[in-house]
Amino acid sequence: MARDRGEQNREWYATYKDDVKKEGKGFFPYAMLHDTIMGFVVVLVIIGLAIIWYWDADGVEPGVLGPLYTEPADPGTTDFVPRPDWYFYFLFYLLRIFEWPETVVIATVGIPTVLLILLLGLPFYDRSRERRPSRRPVAMIAAVLTVISMGVLTYKGATATEALGSELIVLVPEWAEEKGFADNDNAVEGARLFAVSGCLNCHIYLGSGVGALGAPDLSDVGDRYDQETLVRYLTNPAEFGNTVMGSYAYLGQENLNKLATFLDASTSDDG
Amino acid sequence: MAKRKTRRQQIVDLAVLAPLDWIDERTGAVRGTKWFLFRNVPRDVSWAQTLGFATLIAFLTQTLTGAILAMYYKPDPNSAYESIEHITNDLTLGWLVRGMHRWGASVFVILLFLHMGRVFLFGAYKYPRELQWITGVLLLATGMLMGFTGYLLPWDQTAYWATVVGINLNGTAPFAGPWLAQFLSSGPEIGGDTLAKWYALHMLLLPGAIFALIGVHLYLVTRLGVVSPPWSKEQAGRERPVAEPTGARAGLVRRGTEGGAK
Ligand code: HEC
Ligand code: HEM
Repeated sequence: MARDRGEQNREWYATYKDDVKKEGKGFFPYAMLHDTIMGFVVVLVIIGLAIIWYWDADGVEPGVLGPLYTEPADPGTTDFVPRPDWYFYFLFYLLRIFEWPETVVIATVGIPTVLLILLLGLPFYDRSRERRPSRRPVAMIAAVLTVISMGVLTYKGATATEALGSELIVLVPEWAEEKGFADNDNAVEGARLFAVSGCLNCHIYLGSGVGALGAPDLSDVGDRYDQETLVRYLTNPAEFGNTVMGSYAYLGQENLNKLATFLDASTSDDG
Repeated sequence: MAKRKTRRQQIVDLAVLAPLDWIDERTGAVRGTKWFLFRNVPRDVSWAQTLGFATLIAFLTQTLTGAILAMYYKPDPNSAYESIEHITNDLTLGWLVRGMHRWGASVFVILLFLHMGRVFLFGAYKYPRELQWITGVLLLATGMLMGFTGYLLPWDQTAYWATVVGINLNGTAPFAGPWLAQFLSSGPEIGGDTLAKWYALHMLLLPGAIFALIGVHLYLVTRLGVVSPPWSKEQAGRERPVAEPTGARAGLVRRGTEGGAK
């Protein structure tokens, strides 16, 4: 009769402990020696990278390892291509694969959550005792596929150049055409700001966006407010009884004017 | 009666052993260190198993360089960028400390993945090391969050816009999304409050969590031991051709009488 798995495991582990005790080598000094050498290598590599980075770059002028820093942060910029640290490139690229807004949540939440659960649960669904890679074909194939897809996504994310604004910024010309403000530079600028400022995390505009927290569709908001009121609204939404949306005063007066011009141009009598 | 001690032995006793005994009696620290150092590992353990320690060294490098940076960095939108410039350009070896911290972060993440890959390849997450693996996955997640929160601190364009995107991404999550985005940005504006919050996360909360997790992780690896390479002919715990050892080793292995196993 087969013994139960727990008992088998305990027996295997007892053999392991026994072997280590009888045939093993001391952690100190043997394994420790390897560890120490490896530790030095790590520190040296880090120092080496720092040196190369510093000597080849000059302030905002990039060297082989990039610039020492970029220009100071400026919330008013509308054309800066955002780029996270390299180990988030894969996520960054997933955003381009999935459509905003309907399926983007698959990339931002779905896939990372599934990956995390798969990782955390690994010892619980892969319960055989077998450890030899040659006898774990499913695990090995899954691992190779994961490594390849992460590699490809990271590479694609690293080489992607178009502005992100979570893909929304590419919709600006479409909006301009639909709402007929293509000749109005201020409104176009405003639309770009609108696309990158996270407004569509709550609002909807011409079918893009989320529609969360009771935020209204802004496609025809120009019917309801004039430009000046809109500037006031964005500066202090609370004044209009809106406590969900925060103030956007930090964008600066000029940018608020552009945003408001864009919103004002968004009326129901298109063109 | 015991043999009379030489003078030398007496000095050693008094200067070294007595204080150690004193400490050990009250803390168990000496026994703990011995437990950690003077244990056996499988004899086929080699370079692949140094990756965990390498990750630890990378993390400690981050802790040290980070502490130095924190002495000169100012978490305030008006002065953060200047303080970064100051550290890089004016302070003696400031560039080295900052460069090590910046590149150390990438090395740390790479080592995390390599170490995890090694553990996966060796099947080392299986019984009885399930919790060892879980603390590891949590370390991976917190490690990457360290990168995410640290990226904002220089307050340059790259930092700022990557953070805007990062926060907007959080905002897309169902239900909790907008709330999470609000929490991360501390209001609609990515400004002083955001920076202060991320600074606190980056240098207090997350490193604290990582230290605690590393503590558990190292305790577990000392208690449970590392596995042999699975392809090794002489791996610890290998199946014996016969149920009981024969030949010279006969009678040496008492199966199932070790530890708590019955
Ligand atoms: C946290 C979610 C959220 C974000 C982000 C947000 N809003 Fe709002 N906004 C709301 C909500 C909710 C309302 C409706 C409040 C009410 O009805 O009292 C609203 C109302 C408005 C209104 C008035 C609409 C009307 O018809 O009354 C305008 C204009 C507006 N938002 C513009 C913007 C702009 C521009 C941005 C980006 C710069 C933005 N909002 C970002 C939640 C948000
Ligand atoms: C800060 C991060 C980490 C540190 C400092 C660390 C440290 C260590 C050390 C020193 C060891 C001893 C053996 C070796 O060096 O390989 C070890 C083993 C182990 N680690 Fe980690 N680790 C970290 C992250 C992780 C991650 C991300 C995982 C997996 C998701 C993981 C899973 C394991 C497992 C299962 C073992 C046991 C391996 C065996 O028995 O052979 N660790 N860790």
